Amino acid sequence: MFKLDALNSFIAGAIGLFFILAISYSLKFMKGRKHLVLYYFYIVLSALASLGVVLTNNLVVLLVCWGFLGLLLYLLINMGDSDAPQAAKKSLVIVGGTDALMIFGIGIIYYFTQTMQLDKIRLELNQEPLILAYFCIASACFAKAGAMPYHSWVPDCAKSAPIPVTAFLPSALDKLLGIYLLSRLSLNLFVMSKAVAMVLMIIGAITIIAAVMMALVQQNLKKLLGYSTVSQVGYMVLGIGTGNPIGIAGGLFHMLNHTVYKSCLFFSAGNVEYRTKTAELDQLGGLSSLMPFTFFSFLVASLSISGIPPFNGFVSKWLIYQGLIQNLQFADYSMKIISIFCLIAAMFGSALTLATFMKTLHAVFLGQRLNTLKSKEIKEVSFTMLAPCLVLAVICIIFGIFAFVLPLKYFIFPVLSVYAQLNAASLPGHWSPVLATILILIGLLTGALLFRSGKVKSNIREDSTFSGGELEEQGQEAMVTGTDFYNTVQEMPFLKKVYQKAQAGTFDLYEQSRKIFKISKVLQFLHNGVLPTYLVWILLGMMGLFLILIG
Amino acid sequence: MNLALFVIVPLACVFLIVLLARRFKALSDILANTAALFLLLLACFSLKQVAAQGVLTYNISGWAPPIGIALVMDGLSAFMLLTVNLVAFLAMIYAISYMRRYTEKWKFHALFLMMLTGMNGVILSGDLFNLYIFIEVASISGYALVAFGTQAEDLEAAFKYAIMGALASIFVLLGIALLYSHTSTLNMADIALSLAAKPRGILINFISVLFLAGFGLKAAIVPFHAWLPDAHSSAPSPVSAVLSGVFIKTLGVYALARVFFNIIGISAQLFYVLMILGILSMAIGAFLAVAQNDIKRMFAYSSISQVGYIIFALGIASPLAIFGALLHLFNHAVLKSLLFLNAGTIEYATDTRSLKGLGGLNDKLPVASVSSLVASMSISGIPPLGGFWSKLIIIIAAVQAGYFNFALVAVLVSVVTLVYYLKFYNTVFLGSLNAAIAEVKAVPFTMKFSLVALAIISLIAGGVLLPGLRIYLQAAANVLMR
Repeated sequence: MFKLDALNSFIAGAIGLFFILAISYSLKFMKGRKHLVLYYFYIVLSALASLGVVLTNNLVVLLVCWGFLGLLLYLLINMGDSDAPQAAKKSLVIVGGTDALMIFGIGIIYYFTQTMQLDKIRLELNQEPLILAYFCIASACFAKAGAMPYHSWVPDCAKSAPIPVTAFLPSALDKLLGIYLLSRLSLNLFVMSKAVAMVLMIIGAITIIAAVMMALVQQNLKKLLGYSTVSQVGYMVLGIGTGNPIGIAGGLFHMLNHTVYKSCLFFSAGNVEYRTKTAELDQLGGLSSLMPFTFFSFLVASLSISGIPPFNGFVSKWLIYQGLIQNLQFADYSMKIISIFCLIAAMFGSALTLATFMKTLHAVFLGQRLNTLKSKEIKEVSFTMLAPCLVLAVICIIFGIFAFVLPLKYFIFPVLSVYAQLNAASLPGHWSPVLATILILIGLLTGALLFRSGKVKSNIREDSTFSGGELEEQGQEAMVTGTDFYNTVQEMPFLKKVYQKAQAGTFDLYEQSRKIFKISKVLQFLHNGVLPTYLVWILLGMMGLFLILIG
Repeated sequence: MNLALFVIVPLACVFLIVLLARRFKALSDILANTAALFLLLLACFSLKQVAAQGVLTYNISGWAPPIGIALVMDGLSAFMLLTVNLVAFLAMIYAISYMRRYTEKWKFHALFLMMLTGMNGVILSGDLFNLYIFIEVASISGYALVAFGTQAEDLEAAFKYAIMGALASIFVLLGIALLYSHTSTLNMADIALSLAAKPRGILINFISVLFLAGFGLKAAIVPFHAWLPDAHSSAPSPVSAVLSGVFIKTLGVYALARVFFNIIGISAQLFYVLMILGILSMAIGAFLAVAQNDIKRMFAYSSISQVGYIIFALGIASPLAIFGALLHLFNHAVLKSLLFLNAGTIEYATDTRSLKGLGGLNDKLPVASVSSLVASMSISGIPPLGGFWSKLIIIIAAVQAGYFNFALVAVLVSVVTLVYYLKFYNTVFLGSLNAAIAEVKAVPFTMKFSLVALAIISLIAGGVLLPGLRIYLQAAANVLMR
């Protein structure tokens, strides 16, 4: 019933790691809240169910654990703030709804193979029902991982759920599981066809750009992180969609990296919220000196998510780019065009991610401190909360610098050993992280020395603010928070409309599907409570039956 | 074992209650609950016995059919008896405290046991005419129980229900009469033998339509469903629990399956019709349930939708599908009665059952909250709860039989189901306490007992799939696959 292989063993390990970190973080963060026993019970169950999903070799067991996770997510989100029930409902409708699709997909697989054993299934994507099955199960993966068009629960959940829950489930476990199943699906259960690969790539590319554009203009730290999570899922889907070993390696590595840095970001954001009691960006600022370790881990994770070398996010993104470039070798033009489009989207998305996190870093940790944040209460958090952040930040650095020696060699490349013997030398592009790190460090040191030597500083004159010769009061008005950095983006002629529509929920599958319930109104109109009407139905029903069975 | 006990015991209790309860107030409670418990134990016992010995028959007064009346118990009857008496017993326990809201509690007990007599009779009856008699016994007590509150809307609902129920009875009776004229016997087994020897003419199709409409009305299959939401939401909650949980399944689904699968046989065309009706019921019921603001009406429409799943699975008619249909029947019996009892608890505690006047009861009614959550999630098919398994089996069976489109509809309807059950749970239990609620009354122990018992059963209902227990369900399914 259970089976261990290269793909699921490292994911199981990661689940274990995040479980420990989440528990450690919760000890302090959740202290004093209601229903704590239940909370830890749900967390433990989540970890167990996730292990079940990853390790099982039976589709039904996978389905059971997978669906159960949706329920646990619902229960855990409900422990959050006052908006939590809404967010929890939305999450369960989207996740649970796609689970139902997955039942259908598994039904079709069973119809064709008559087995539920994962390792015995290998299907060509050459018939319509099979393509349907692929996309039904892929929908469940997208919903779990938060790729478009099933993404909209992630930001809401991030905003309302308790931080350790967000860090543990949507940003770590659900990513691992969603992408795990997607890669199982694409690598083992089905033989990917080119058309399906292209669809995946396009979904990935659109997810990257659209979600990061939304992240760019968010005013709430947690929601911003939520949108950027969605955007990062796009990279993973894109990587797996490339269909070649390098791209898939990139996608899987990005999944691993993402869970590390995004959990780190959420934990750090949790630290900030824990001390300041707010996650609104315009009420934060200048916390770097008060919470230096939190700042450090947030900084590392930000740079990592933005794909700055030598951190881990860069390596996986770089692998995905390589995968896309490999696809340019294909003869047919549609693949070439799509690969180029996706490459541009991925790089542009990366730049926008950097922009988003510059804004966030500035708004939360840099800039001036608000008066409201000057109380003594605001200081570094305790060790059990800090440890998860620091551990993850250090992993970001190690996975970046020793990418080829550690994670890729032991975790990622073995998964793809059936398809290609990958190692640092076999990649088309060359990247030597250790050397690069040394060079970057030397560069930074030189810069620091120059800065210290005073030659740069001499050109800066510091003075008080004044207007018309009068000195300005050093008040809050003079403060520049990061919040408004990209308001101009929202005002651009075309984008303005898009953002307005996004605000109104036009791109939210959940909001859009509500429209189908207009059918209910029609049906209600027919149920007018008048007996003769009902009798007429019975008559019509019987006439219909007579026509079918006798006529 | 004397099969007649299933009919005699509740019937005797009805007489005793009517005779004595006015004088000895406590008697009706004691008698009714003891009878219900006895029937439940008897049902458990008979399930085991049927599994060991196969079909049991009992000739009333020793007259052998075709002259006498025979009661027959096979795997399916035993399974249905267990389901019916389980739900009836727990509803009865619940009613001990709940029915104090109404005057003349003994009348409720008498009617309730009368209804139980009818249902047990329908399940055990070995000939068609007695099937009809018992359907009428159950239905008429059902009409009275719907009107039990005697408010204007209760009476209106009961009136509509009575009219449509009478119509159904006429269809069934006409069908039986025609069948009798065709085969000269009323005994089910004899009719089946006699029909097998004759060519399948147009008359059988005509009779099929009559039975389909008649039992369809009892089972509330679209388009014969319109009486159900009124009737099931107006009845007192323990009654709604039985009506929605087992009544429509006994008088409708069971009788339909028995007549079509075991007696007159079923054509490919009719299978297809069953599937279409099932799909229509599940979709229309679900979409109507979403729009409801009255909890009990929502559950009532949900019953239409869930019975649609059962009918759909019966229409697929592969061994897997029939197994799934019976599992879903059991699950739905437990879950829907649990949900109606929860609705009753909410109404008992807050005096309202409108979603607009409720909210934030999680801390005030913890037992109701947890059991509602279990029931809602289970019926929406969230694993590993019971409802998931039957839904899984039905969908896989549909795909196996090649009905991809229907399976997809069944899947999408289950998403809609999830939507309205989340709407129910979120609105009633989560968020902050609704300002319109003046006070939340404490829930008595007997009510809690039933909720907890049903919740536990629904939690472990998936365990029916374990090999040791599967044989009972398989025995029931085998009856329909002969």
